[in-house]
Amino acid sequence: MSRLMIEARVNGETVTALADPRDTLLDLLRDRLGLTGTKEGCGNGNCGSCTVLVDGEPVNACLMFAVEAPGREILTVEGLSRNGELTDLQRNLADSGGTQCGFCTPGIVLSATALLARNAAPSEADIRLAIAGNLCRCTGYDKIVRAIALTAEQRRR
Amino acid sequence: MDAPAPSIGQSLPRVDGRDRVAGRALYPADMQRPNMAHARILRSPHAHAVIRAVDTSRAEALEGVFAVVTAADFPEIPLGTMIPMGETGADMWMVSLINMARGKVFWVGQPVAAVAARDPHVAQAALALIAVEYEVLEPAPDMDSAMREGAPVLHEHVVTKGVAPAAQAPSNICSRTLIERGAVDEALARSPARASVSVVVDTAHQGYIEPQAMLAEVSADGFATVWTSTQGQFTTELMIARMLDRPLSKLKVVPMEVGGAFGGKILIHGEAVAVRLAEKCGRPVRLVFGRDEVLQGGSGPTMGVAIGIDVAAEADGRLTAISGTYHVDAGALPGLSPSLLMQASAALYQVENLRLEGFDVVTNKPRTEAYRGPGGIQGAFAMEQAMDELCLRLGMDPLEFRRRNAAVTGSTMPIGTPFPSIGLTNILDAVAAHPCWTEPLEPGPRPRGRGLALGYWRGTSMTSACHITIGGDGRPVVTMGAVDISGTRTSMTQVAADQFGLAPEDVHVQTGDSKSVGYSDGAAGSRVARTMAAAIVEASEEVLDQLRVRAAGLLQAEAEQVAYANGVFRLQGGSAITLAELMQETISSGAVVGRGTSTKLPFGVEVGAHVCDVEVDEETGQVTILRYTAFQDVGRALNPSAIEGQIQGSVVQGLGWALTEGYDYDAEGRLRNASLLDYRLPTALDVPPIDCVIIETPVPGVPYGLRGVGEVPIVPVAACVANAVARAVGVRTRRMPMTPERLLAAMRARLSRDA
Repeated sequence: MSRLMIEARVNGETVTALADPRDTLLDLLRDRLGLTGTKEGCGNGNCGSCTVLVDGEPVNACLMFAVEAPGREILTVEGLSRNGELTDLQRNLADSGGTQCGFCTPGIVLSATALLARNAAPSEADIRLAIAGNLCRCTGYDKIVRAIALTAEQRRR
Repeated sequence: MDAPAPSIGQSLPRVDGRDRVAGRALYPADMQRPNMAHARILRSPHAHAVIRAVDTSRAEALEGVFAVVTAADFPEIPLGTMIPMGETGADMWMVSLINMARGKVFWVGQPVAAVAARDPHVAQAALALIAVEYEVLEPAPDMDSAMREGAPVLHEHVVTKGVAPAAQAPSNICSRTLIERGAVDEALARSPARASVSVVVDTAHQGYIEPQAMLAEVSADGFATVWTSTQGQFTTELMIARMLDRPLSKLKVVPMEVGGAFGGKILIHGEAVAVRLAEKCGRPVRLVFGRDEVLQGGSGPTMGVAIGIDVAAEADGRLTAISGTYHVDAGALPGLSPSLLMQASAALYQVENLRLEGFDVVTNKPRTEAYRGPGGIQGAFAMEQAMDELCLRLGMDPLEFRRRNAAVTGSTMPIGTPFPSIGLTNILDAVAAHPCWTEPLEPGPRPRGRGLALGYWRGTSMTSACHITIGGDGRPVVTMGAVDISGTRTSMTQVAADQFGLAPEDVHVQTGDSKSVGYSDGAAGSRVARTMAAAIVEASEEVLDQLRVRAAGLLQAEAEQVAYANGVFRLQGGSAITLAELMQETISSGAVVGRGTSTKLPFGVEVGAHVCDVEVDEETGQVTILRYTAFQDVGRALNPSAIEGQIQGSVVQGLGWALTEGYDYDAEGRLRNASLLDYRLPTALDVPPIDCVIIETPVPGVPYGLRGVGEVPIVPVAACVANAVARAVGVRTRRMPMTPERLLAAMRARLSRDA
């Protein structure tokens, strides 16, 4: 199948890539653009490991085609840190046991980033709902929830 | 130099944590190599069939296809081929069939061929062009159908082992295991209180979020490198080498970050296939599984069981007999011993009369593999419910009952030998004093109940190796033969920092590949932190001995006169030189390398007690976990936060299996729920925070007194929930997972019985 040239906005930059028409947004990010921080855990929208933000909203990148990317602003985990500096949310997750194997972590970081952008004072239930689409098999979620709550609290201070 | 803060017992953040939250930790699916090809596996659509012929010519002719392999591309591994691996060795006949079927397929999803192509789309298209001629046989998709009279026989060579007189005819019951002492039947008959519980537990999956992924490259000179997500770089190397008849000296396994494993990444699931494809097409080959492949036949889930337990006690609560019959569903290939789960289920009770009988049964399902204390949660689901029923019959507090019958150091284990150090009574004391047990359960809008269950897992020790070098700036670098699936680099950083009296940031701990450090067994059996700590202690001592000789030369003294502490070598009352200065002075004087190996460390048995409060919706059968507290004896907590994380994750895995996770097969042996939508892992909305109570009963003869940590916290979970449900609504489902429909059916059955 012939390839298509795709121009998209990813992490604040305009990027171009040759993609197969069957490629998902996840394939575009991982295999064509080398942004492997976004993970594939199931390929059909059930696990949330490939969560990225599209125009600020969390989306499973495996459920969007690459050809749908033009005209959208896409944010991946690589776009969060500036000059190697992690966000407060990332630091809190790393420093308080909010990541173990780490495979679900980029997706959780982005779901929680979107939550904190729209809700400065989320309850525990709000936090659990915001990451309910992100399966984690290692942590039991508690330390993740606490790290997100701590970040919100620190930002309010 | 001042002594740094003690590193042992601190909740040091993971040394690799920031890479993970930044998305920079590298898993094998993230790897690319120049000129790389993409592989896909063709899997059997049948649960039981003879392979008559495989024609790959049309697939090979597709543009963009570089290589196709089938069983014909691998040496045939004879029955009974064992390689030294783990405590019992690995059966390479079995491993080879997990990776590529030969002559016959035994489960839906078993590999039949593999393709390497320009991209995954082409590889996928090529699979459809491979023509496989099957002669479909009747399947035996569950233990009942496999054990009935006239059942289809999976393996003509299998006759039941361990029965007298010796069996002659082929059977799907592969072995019988018996552990017996005393006179169980008499004790059951004469005891005033008796309870029986029988359970059926569905096959379930480890549920790691990272599907199997691997990348293989074979140089033009014939040296193969495999990057993979594995629990053991050396054991993986042994399995690949044997499957390909490849010298170990021509093969290197590089362990990448592991996106969850829990026992499911001990065996290989395509690594040798990727190497063979790479050889055949002269390019690096990356093979990444889809989730449907992971769930349906590409990886081993863990065993379903059918267990019946009878227990009896005197009126004062003293246990008189335990009798258990255990059938374990091994999946399609024989050799799954039920012995460890039988022992584990009964281990925490002192009892004179004990009879445990187990059977290893083959069915047309994927060969099952390990999952976190393999068999532990299934065994406890039966045994701890039976004990709870016995308490109800006795009218006795379940905690008091456990205290009365608790195993102690030196009491007799199920296999007849005395218990090594065990801290069960310390745990029971902690439960008795904790609010989760002493505070009354608040009534709610629906029936509520509180459950208690115990869990035991022996764990293992086996071999761990490391070496330590000292950088030119005096900083130690530890290279371990263990992969890091549970924060090992972090906890071992703490151990190395403690051994050298340095701050954790001044030591570096890394995982070595299979050609850079000495052989170590895999990360399984709750063994790595304990045994690698022992290896680091030994290697640190060897390094410091070498350094003391150097320091003595510079300080003009004998090595015996030089003392070391906190980064400084010092003569008594005299001159001193820092570790950093010493290395700067002597960097050209030859290598400083300390070796450490731990081989026969005493076991650090794991014990936990769990308490949970549940609420049951009688209209729907839905169980809500209100509160959950896990008590565990860890010997000594190297890193309390990491241990809490292990316990919390483990409990939530157990809650998943207890309530929602189970394989659902149709009569043809096809999995009906091969997706993460239908095979339902717990989400953040399904579980409460898990409270952890860490108890420390050190193990003598083990550095820091460490016990295993990672496995036992899953063991009591399902029984704990079942016991709470039974106390809420007076019903036990006997089935696991205890789905709403199963619980509802059990409640309705009781209603119609009562009516």
